[in-house]
Amino acid sequence: MIQFFGRSAELQLEKDVSTRYLPVVIAAMIFLAALSIGGLFSLSNAISDWSKTLTDNLTVEIAFDPSADLDKKVTDAVALLSATPGVASARAIKQDETLQLLEPFLGKNAALGGLPIPRLVEVIIAQDSAIDLAALNRKLAEAVPGARLDIHRPWLDKMVLLGRSIQILAAGIMLLIGCVTVIIVIFAVRTGLIMHSEVIQVLHLIGARDNYIAEQFQNYFSRLSFLGALPGLIVAIIVMFIFNFLVGSLEASMLPPLTVGIEGTVALMLLPFLVALLTKYTVRRVVLKSLRRMM
Amino acid sequence: MRYGLGPEVLRDISFHLRPGSFHFLTGPTGAGKSSLLKLLALSHRPSRGLITLFNKEVSSLARDDLPSMRRKIGVVYQDFRLLDHLSALENVALPLKIAGAKNDQIYQHVAELLEWVGLGRQVDAKPPTLSGGEKQRVAIARAVINRPQLLIADEPTGSMDAEMGLRLMYLFQELNKIGTTVVVATHDLELIKRFGNPVMFLKDGLLTTRAQDELPATFSKDPV
Repeated sequence: MIQFFGRSAELQLEKDVSTRYLPVVIAAMIFLAALSIGGLFSLSNAISDWSKTLTDNLTVEIAFDPSADLDKKVTDAVALLSATPGVASARAIKQDETLQLLEPFLGKNAALGGLPIPRLVEVIIAQDSAIDLAALNRKLAEAVPGARLDIHRPWLDKMVLLGRSIQILAAGIMLLIGCVTVIIVIFAVRTGLIMHSEVIQVLHLIGARDNYIAEQFQNYFSRLSFLGALPGLIVAIIVMFIFNFLVGSLEASMLPPLTVGIEGTVALMLLPFLVALLTKYTVRRVVLKSLRRMM
Repeated sequence: MRYGLGPEVLRDISFHLRPGSFHFLTGPTGAGKSSLLKLLALSHRPSRGLITLFNKEVSSLARDDLPSMRRKIGVVYQDFRLLDHLSALENVALPLKIAGAKNDQIYQHVAELLEWVGLGRQVDAKPPTLSGGEKQRVAIARAVINRPQLLIADEPTGSMDAEMGLRLMYLFQELNKIGTTVVVATHDLELIKRFGNPVMFLKDGLLTTRAQDELPATFSKDPV
């Protein structure tokens, strides 16, 4: 790592006041980037989980009817569904469970008992089976009046669209962070070039190639970026843990916890190296371009 | 040659330096001596005309080829241009380090050279702690460490007493004896007369060659 970053022996960039706060700015950028990555991968995982869960999962909804025997309707529906080929299982959801599902929306202490709540049946479709859901819905409605098959698809499609939109937004934020980082680094490098123009001239006149000078700049600035990125990343990870703790401690929270998965963890760990590489490449381009304007 | 869009500071100059020769370059202040040295040191490009160094036309040399040509040229600046945060040893070692020489070779040669210029005890001293004469010797050591084919010195004795100036000139003579072409820019006419080497006289941007007895006694506002 030390070899990779090197030292700016002749230029003494380490003593520059102008670049002293660059690691702080980089830390802030990496903090935001890490949170964006956290959000990006969490949403991706959440969408994947929703799709996976809901693809093989249907719900039968039996409308509330005070004059009808709802328990019988439920029993008839379960019997019909269990006898349908391709249905792995059909289970009546108890009234208590239904009320629990409503808690996040209505609160724990709401008077749920008096509400006209429909009765639900959970249906699990067997893997690799092809069921005509429209035909099943018709058959169910005929056998059990007021019963309707909910395949969750419209809701899921909207959630996936929302998730993808947020993902694009997060990617846009990442891009913006990258651009701002590059611009900040360019300004810092140009200041450094002006401050050290005399030494650069001496180095040129005793035979230094542009690469020799550029290396001192790129090594120094990539070191600053890397060292700034580390605390930014650590703080972002701590914030994610705190967020997950808060989500976990809030009863019946609608917010999913931040779960970045393996790919997200790798992306987060790579962030300091990527910003160091981005800085190195940017600095090299800027220095070589500026030096070309000199004799 | 011109600086930016300014007027030409040198024009219609034509001269040839024989390899291994020793020339003085003189003229009144503002005559263009430093500008001519900048062209020779490949620090600036001429606005028009040609410069041939080491049998190669360098006025339009590609940027990538400049470093290798510059390594054949040693330059001693009037203001030394040493790097203050480096020791005398590191300053002198810089051209070798830049050229990619190995550390053990670098420091052996540099220590020997510093001994030769009389700074054997000040190898670790930083330039701000050295006297003007000592800095000049460090600058000379840095200029010659690469065994340049051309040594250029701009007013090398300007910042030191007469005795030290003479010692430096003897040092240049030693380097010249081992085949280095030397050009020393100075307006110290006494020094030029004492050594008797060929003189290039520069005035109002024009260069002429003069014999020792054709030089003015002093550089007044309207010399010669």
